[in-house]
Amino acid sequence: MSVVSAGWRTLVHREILRFVRRPRNTFLPPAITNALYLIVFGVILGGRIDVGGDVTYIHFILPGLVVLGAVSDAFQNASFSIFHGRWNEYIHEVQTAPLSYTEMVIAYVVASALRGTLIAVLITGVGVLFTNLIPSMTPVEFAHPVYVVAFVFVITLLFAGFGVIGGLWARDFDHLTVMNQFIIRPLVFFGAVFYPLSTLSQFWQSVSLLNPMVYMVEGVRFAFLDISDISPVVSLAVLAGATVVVVAIDVWLFKRGFGLTD
Amino acid sequence: MSLAISTTDLEKSYGSVRALDGISLAVEQGEFFGLLGPNGAGKTTFINILVGLVRKSDGEASVFGHDVESEYRAARDRIGLAPQEFNVDRFFPIREVLTHKAGYHGITGEEAKARADRALRTVGIYDKRNTRFDWLSGGMKRRFMLARALVSDPDLLILDEPTAGVDVELRHDLWEIITELNDDGTTILLTTHYIEEAERLCDTVAIMDQGEKLTVASPESLMARGNDTIRLRLESPPTRPPKIDDERIQEMTIEGESLVVTAPTGGEVAPALVRSLDRQGHTVVDMDISRTSLEEVFVSLTGTDEAETAPETEPAAPEGML
Repeated sequence: MSVVSAGWRTLVHREILRFVRRPRNTFLPPAITNALYLIVFGVILGGRIDVGGDVTYIHFILPGLVVLGAVSDAFQNASFSIFHGRWNEYIHEVQTAPLSYTEMVIAYVVASALRGTLIAVLITGVGVLFTNLIPSMTPVEFAHPVYVVAFVFVITLLFAGFGVIGGLWARDFDHLTVMNQFIIRPLVFFGAVFYPLSTLSQFWQSVSLLNPMVYMVEGVRFAFLDISDISPVVSLAVLAGATVVVVAIDVWLFKRGFGLTD
Repeated sequence: MSLAISTTDLEKSYGSVRALDGISLAVEQGEFFGLLGPNGAGKTTFINILVGLVRKSDGEASVFGHDVESEYRAARDRIGLAPQEFNVDRFFPIREVLTHKAGYHGITGEEAKARADRALRTVGIYDKRNTRFDWLSGGMKRRFMLARALVSDPDLLILDEPTAGVDVELRHDLWEIITELNDDGTTILLTTHYIEEAERLCDTVAIMDQGEKLTVASPESLMARGNDTIRLRLESPPTRPPKIDDERIQEMTIEGESLVVTAPTGGEVAPALVRSLDRQGHTVVDMDISRTSLEEVFVSLTGTDEAETAPETEPAAPEGML
């Protein structure tokens, strides 16, 4: 007998089908965008940027791009799916079903985290392809594969959890755009994706530590390259704790009917 | 045996507006129960509290003995809902929408597909099974709403204005389907403001207005509360109504060649009325008794004529993509 209900499995299945059947909307854009990032920053400009040590710039930014793609898509998937369901009211199909509120939330979070994980794999694949195609480059390797899996697992769950809150909070499509453009994107760009923290003054390094994205980028960079300005164990613990808190908030909001019931 | 629906002093307020003001209702298992009321009466709010789309402000509500808040999963598992508004998943063909809905109720795999096919055949749109909802015509969309409510094989079928704006043929088809379901034991809660629908289908009717329950009774007993109209055509109609000594008579008027008499239970009053007229020298050449309609009772109770008789036609053109 399965430990999860058939209803939960159905909702997860439905959520996965929703993004898998639209690869032109879900998988193609990040593949193209990240290929462009790697061409411009990695290949064209990369040779002129020194990030210290023996690490080339394309190897340095790849972990950050993986984080950027994974969390953006995990967030976007959960927020869009819930908001679109609210907008067209078909989320009522789920709300009126005999699923517990926890099952509903976990289903949305798991499916969205899976999409984020697939995007992470896709971007890594693009990076591997580039570094193998260019003879002067060292192919991408994973210094700590277990950490790669652990970090991608936690950060996609965390941002899927944030996405649930965003999907419940949004009142129109503009709100979704606002969240992506004015909250997620600045956090990412100031999250040490494109530069090492050590290039900043001590003051800005301290300020940066308030940005949760820094822990994600540094953690995944450690997993890829074995270099990090922050202990990966600390990063993983902070992010895992945050994930538990955010998902608990999601469940509480569903129980309260926030954005869902009159 | 627990009631299919039981509510006690159910209240819902939106700020200072009281959408439901202490509704207590009991719907027996297997009953065909109608909620009748003008727009804004609170019918949809009442339904949405049962299925979890609206949170009650106060009072109690249970479905088959399960509280709709503390035992919401058990309550929702017994309910099939066909809402008035089209709230269907736009991403998938309708057959797949049904298999998902069945899956949420624990029915998966081949069984879910078989249920979906059966529901689509029941409502007559099986050949559209691979079409997305947006591409169905208005009538097909209404049929699909019923199919989705049926796919989990509910014990309580809730239909919120199921025939709003549909053509005559579809309306009769839907009536036939839900009557058969009720005959097979499914409890049905129907909201409507089409009087004819309630009169024809329901065992019991609750009339609501402005969040309050005005009365609960069978359509027959409600109609018995009103006055019948006896129309008598006289050989030589008088200029003024004759004097008839019968306290049951409410009103008498002359309309052309006819004497029009209003009285409760017209069939009982008519023989004595004819005899009295005969004694006064008036020869009755024709007589017609029309019973009071539920619509008249509705209007007298709610003070509104917002309830409608069902329309005869509806545009059948597809509504297209949203």
